[in-house]
Amino acid sequence: MTDFIRRLPVYLLLDCSGSMMGEPIEAVRQGVKALLSELRGDPQALETAYLSVITFDSKARQITPLTELMQFKEPQLNAGGATALGGALHVLMDCVDSEVRKSTQTQKGDWRPLVFILTDGSPTDIEAFQQAAQKIKGMKTANIIACAAGSNADTSYLKQITENVLMMNTLSAGDMAQFFAWVSGSIKMSSKSVDAKPGEAIELPPPPQGFVVVP
Amino acid sequence: MDRTKEATLADGTKLPYVVKRNPPRGGMKYTYFSPDKSYVVQFFNRPEMGRDPNLRRRLEAIIGKYNPTLSEEKGGARGNSEAMAAYFSGKFCWPKAIVTKPEFGIVCPAYPSNYFFSDDVSILPQLSSELKGKDKKSKWFTSAKLRRYMREEELGDFRSMVQMSISLARAIRRMHQAGLAHSDLSCNNVLVDPITGSCVVIDIDSLVVPGVYPPEVIGTNGYIAPEVLESMSLPFGDAKRSLPCAYTDLHALAVLIYEYLMLRHPLRGPKCYSNDPSEDDYLSMGPKALFVENPKDRSNRPGDLGVTIYDHGPELAKLFLRAFVDGLHNPGERPAAMEWEKALVKTWDLLHPCENPDCAARWFVLYDMKKPACPFCGHKVSPDNLVRLRLKSQARGRSGQWVDAGQVNVYHNMPLFKWHVFSRCFPDEKTDRGMMAYVCKHQGQWLMVNHNIQGMTSPGGSLVPVGRAVLLRDGAVFRASTEERGLLIEVVCGKG
Repeated sequence: MTDFIRRLPVYLLLDCSGSMMGEPIEAVRQGVKALLSELRGDPQALETAYLSVITFDSKARQITPLTELMQFKEPQLNAGGATALGGALHVLMDCVDSEVRKSTQTQKGDWRPLVFILTDGSPTDIEAFQQAAQKIKGMKTANIIACAAGSNADTSYLKQITENVLMMNTLSAGDMAQFFAWVSGSIKMSSKSVDAKPGEAIELPPPPQGFVVVP
Repeated sequence: MDRTKEATLADGTKLPYVVKRNPPRGGMKYTYFSPDKSYVVQFFNRPEMGRDPNLRRRLEAIIGKYNPTLSEEKGGARGNSEAMAAYFSGKFCWPKAIVTKPEFGIVCPAYPSNYFFSDDVSILPQLSSELKGKDKKSKWFTSAKLRRYMREEELGDFRSMVQMSISLARAIRRMHQAGLAHSDLSCNNVLVDPITGSCVVIDIDSLVVPGVYPPEVIGTNGYIAPEVLESMSLPFGDAKRSLPCAYTDLHALAVLIYEYLMLRHPLRGPKCYSNDPSEDDYLSMGPKALFVENPKDRSNRPGDLGVTIYDHGPELAKLFLRAFVDGLHNPGERPAAMEWEKALVKTWDLLHPCENPDCAARWFVLYDMKKPACPFCGHKVSPDNLVRLRLKSQARGRSGQWVDAGQVNVYHNMPLFKWHVFSRCFPDEKTDRGMMAYVCKHQGQWLMVNHNIQGMTSPGGSLVPVGRAVLLRDGAVFRASTEERGLLIEVVCGKG
């Protein structure tokens, strides 16, 4: 029989700029690995969640298209270059447009995608960023959560994209692990939550200790 | 580094538990194991919940006078014997005590080991290693997508799914009988073991207890009764708001049983109600919910439905229609847990092994002797394997008059129990489960062998002692027992 299970598309936008070199990028690699493991062990997440990774350094690209969790291969993440966050948002919009199934009269579409952005700096492609930010904030089709990592991250840019901005103080392996644990908690929660009141803000677990929600 | 701490219980007893980083965490609580892993200590995610006097009163009642896993003698539920307490201990993971220090929490027994995944459960090695040691939530066995990842041996068969359904219906019947409601029955709060056909109801702490302020839970997506979903945006005290109760449990129970037996969700079909996915989900589980097998409105029916409720016999079909057609938006019409238990037990007696060695379901309900084919694979039963026992009980006060008391399809090495031998006997927690007789096929002939019955007679009326058998020939009539309430058995064989 055909499955009438809605997919939950999840996009990870990961900063791979030069400042992430060394421990931070290694922590992100470990984080993605842990995230995958957590989600595969959860029946609702494994049934519904699909994962894609978009990275940005001097350029932005989708390195893993939206993939079912058991088929997902860990991406090669390497740090170096600038912070093309604007470019990443454009790539995101294109991917959402082409990969996320829309609901129609006759077809059950996907859940509204969950997008997690992790960056340790501020966009270097300001023009592209401003263009994208405007479009994205008006776009009601995704739930975006942005995390500013470390003291150099500028939350004011992220606030232009989404209301949900988190700040973690350091780029340490510990903080990064907590961030990814929180991301997996959020995805698990979304995959079983009662999205009962259409149109309202999504419910996410409380952010990990030491993380600040930027008002 | 793990370290051991001590929990102080309400009666002053101290219990050790092992503190771990990132303990397993649910929506309400997080869990630490005892050093020997025989019990768990659970604390609330929001510690202030422990100061809620309603929660305390509710838990005290659950652990004490409403506790079906504790005998009345030891402070448990009224009328509960030691044997009944032991029986229900296997069906629930019931809280045992309240923890007062270091903060408010509860002690529960650990789940038995068969509810945890062991090695090598998936066809994908990666998934096997993820799952090892995790608890067996039913979604792993009812979701079409997830079933494809699991090894066949882990999935059980149709018979074990019926057995799980009986076990669940019985557990919920016991709860409702005491006036309790679970309030959050779902695939996450019932652990299953399809290999042995057993299940255990967990997360017993948010029960609705008579006379105590109800818990503020809504339920889990897919299992919430439509009326609860529809009214959830109203404030908690509003008279129009439907709160979880026994009726909403009966919706969740029917959904779970449907999932176990049909391996799909009863309300998730192709019909679209809105272009917005959240809105669509809300409408399709709430105000506009429509059974995929609704016989009058087929607009939510998948084109390739496959096996339907009618394939599992009229008893279950009737209840599914009451749960998902008459009772979907009308809670009072939903079948009670007791009705599910009875219908499932009757269905159990009609199970027949599929002769096709490649049939994944392995068993099916053979209710119509004229159409003896497996609905899962289409394989036909060979006529000489079609043997049914019609059980008849003596009409009260009218000797010589016999009324229908059930029917049983037999197969090789099938055990028969007390409820197949005596009338007014139901296979519940009070009944002795010792084998009374068994049926076997010996040199091409079907025999019913007396194992432990006094007063079994042959069709000719002579006594059949223990160890001897009656030949099951078409039309044969004999007494299963001539003792009081002993049933009469009439044999019906299939025609080629």
